Amino acid sequence: MAPFERISVKNLTKSFENADGGKKTIFNNVTFELNPGAVLRLSGASGSGKTTFMNVMSGLIKPDSGSVFFGDTDITSLSEGGKDRFRAENIGYIFQTFNLLAPFSVIENVYAPLAFAGKLPKNYKDKALESLNKVGMKEFAAKKPYHLSVGQKQRVAAARVLFADPPLVFADEPTASLDRNSSELVKNTLLELNRKGTTLVLSSHDPIFDDVKPDIDFDLETGVLS
Amino acid sequence: MKYAFILKAVLHSISHRKFSVFTSIFAISAAFAFLAATGCISFGLASTAVNSSLAFPLIVGPAGASDTTLVMSTLFNTDKPAGTLDYEFAEKLEKDERVSAVFPIARSDSYMGIPITGVESAYINEISRGFSEIGEDIEAHDIFSENGRKCAVIGAKTAARYEMKVGGTFFGSHGSVGDEDSELHDFEYIVCAVMKAVNGPEDFAIFTNLKSVWEIHRHGHHHHHEEAEEDEEDGDHHEAAEMHCVHDMCVDIGNKHHAERKITAVLVKTKNPVFTAALEREYSENGFTSATDTGRTVRKLLTYMNKAEKAAGFFSYGTLFLVMIMVFVTILTSISERKREMALMRTLGIGKLPVSLMIFLELLFISVFGTAVGTLGGHALLAFCKPAIDFELGINLEPFFFTGIEIRGAAYTLLTGVTLSLAAMVKIYRMNLVEEIAKD
Ligand SMILES: Nc1ncnc2c1ncn2[C@@H]1O[C@H](COP(=O)(O)OP(=O)(O)O)[C@@H](O)[C@H]1O
Ligand SMILES: [Mg+2]
Repeated sequence: MAPFERISVKNLTKSFENADGGKKTIFNNVTFELNPGAVLRLSGASGSGKTTFMNVMSGLIKPDSGSVFFGDTDITSLSEGGKDRFRAENIGYIFQTFNLLAPFSVIENVYAPLAFAGKLPKNYKDKALESLNKVGMKEFAAKKPYHLSVGQKQRVAAARVLFADPPLVFADEPTASLDRNSSELVKNTLLELNRKGTTLVLSSHDPIFDDVKPDIDFDLETGVLS
Repeated sequence: MKYAFILKAVLHSISHRKFSVFTSIFAISAAFAFLAATGCISFGLASTAVNSSLAFPLIVGPAGASDTTLVMSTLFNTDKPAGTLDYEFAEKLEKDERVSAVFPIARSDSYMGIPITGVESAYINEISRGFSEIGEDIEAHDIFSENGRKCAVIGAKTAARYEMKVGGTFFGSHGSVGDEDSELHDFEYIVCAVMKAVNGPEDFAIFTNLKSVWEIHRHGHHHHHEEAEEDEEDGDHHEAAEMHCVHDMCVDIGNKHHAERKITAVLVKTKNPVFTAALEREYSENGFTSATDTGRTVRKLLTYMNKAEKAAGFFSYGTLFLVMIMVFVTILTSISERKREMALMRTLGIGKLPVSLMIFLELLFISVFGTAVGTLGGHALLAFCKPAIDFELGINLEPFFFTGIEIRGAAYTLLTGVTLSLAAMVKIYRMNLVEEIAKD
């Protein structure tokens, strides 16, 4: 894992247009700083804007105004190609659903992002298997995602993050609708990464994460930072 | 390394969507089979026509028959003859010193839709390349000599298709010379020889003794009038001087055998092309017959065929183009279904270029592979259907003949494929996939 610089979120605002043409503000003028290895917890009811905040923060969608600095780099001002490269090098994702590429096998899903970036380590297959082993998915390495349960897919997504070992991980309700065992495995993966210094942005109202003390809690429902 | 993985991803993606890829490629193949068929069929027809026109420079038929009818009804066995003429004309032509040989023919009966043509032994000697099977008592060089009177000589393809063997018998469904006359009884033929393949329309033909064609009419009418079955094998005694009607012309068979000697055409070998032209004129203007210079008529037919081939070619291009559009619509629809997948790739940091390149390569693969498999598969399909097509059209189709039309078709397909692939790539490159996935 590359050492990661401090993240500065400055005056970030995002709103969507309503069906009736009116504006719906999701978050307004948000400013905070996140140290390397810290945990940012996004909370709030469904529809309050947790996913939107993650998308803006990781450069997937543009904010109305404001910026997100990773060290000296403002991701909101990067070109699309620049954002792609930045994501490939620095960010790991676990989405709530639809995490895996259907045409690829489980193990290929684990190393695909680095393979596309041309950054595979020498013994990538062993490393990928090791990551899969940690989430109990080693024996599924050659299977296609089609054959996996929701929980198994989510564990593969966790293994992908483990394999890439990025300095920053976004996990959007990673344990929603998972069985207890899968939830534990995903949670442990995230905590292991965080212990080793990965900055973690976590959105979840799963009580399984209640023992994880966030450095910052951002409640999208109330807009309160703590 | 990076590009190797993109290629691998393309192959994965293709094998993941085997069914739609296979369907696309099959559709392209089918369109190409069309194109290939157009070329191969006309090639088969053309080579047949050219060979025949060399063998018989002049064809004489009944008055009023057009040039094409004369050619089609004799050399290709397709058209119906336009009527009949007297055998005397053949005899007269034979005595003409400008003529080296005459081959009178009479189309009459048919078996399973295949016309049975009455000819003389000399005609068989002229067209055959030997026999794959011949009866023991049959004289190969005078196949219709006395003991082979009801003898039928079968073309190679017909024999194979209907499993006809020497000694076997079959019934012709009878029509009178040049005309249908369903009231007449069926006439039994005995297979006395099977010809080796000559790669011409003769392979699909059935020949019999010209005399037995004349015989059918006596027999048929005899049965018809007497409603008896007594004289199946008494073809030699027709002493009874009964009245007998063929073509609204009633003759007395007992006494006037000659009045019955009707044929449908005479194929003529002339000594040189100048004589051909002179004879054509004479026999067109005498009021009883019409005549055509085979070479000229065949050339004219080939010109038409060329035009028809071109028209069919354009039709096939149209089909091909529609198929391509269909294939791409299918693929583009699947692309919109794949937006999520592509968006996921993008969020995983896989760049715009690799993602759109993947789609480009995938479509390119389908175009190139579809065209390659299409052309070869089209010909293979044609080779597979060859027996049926041969038979339906009565030609020897050359399934692996590649025409210019087809080569151009392949080029257009590739060009269209590459253009559409590029367009899809640009569209995907421009699409804000990440916004797409962020929407829900
Ligand atoms: N692309 C979009 N266009 C318009 N409205 C959107 C879009 N994305 C999200 N929304 C709206 O923004 C709100 C927040 O959505 P989201 O961020 O998915 O919430 P959460 O992740 O907390 O459930 C919802 O009301 C949603 O309908
Ligand atoms: Mg959400």
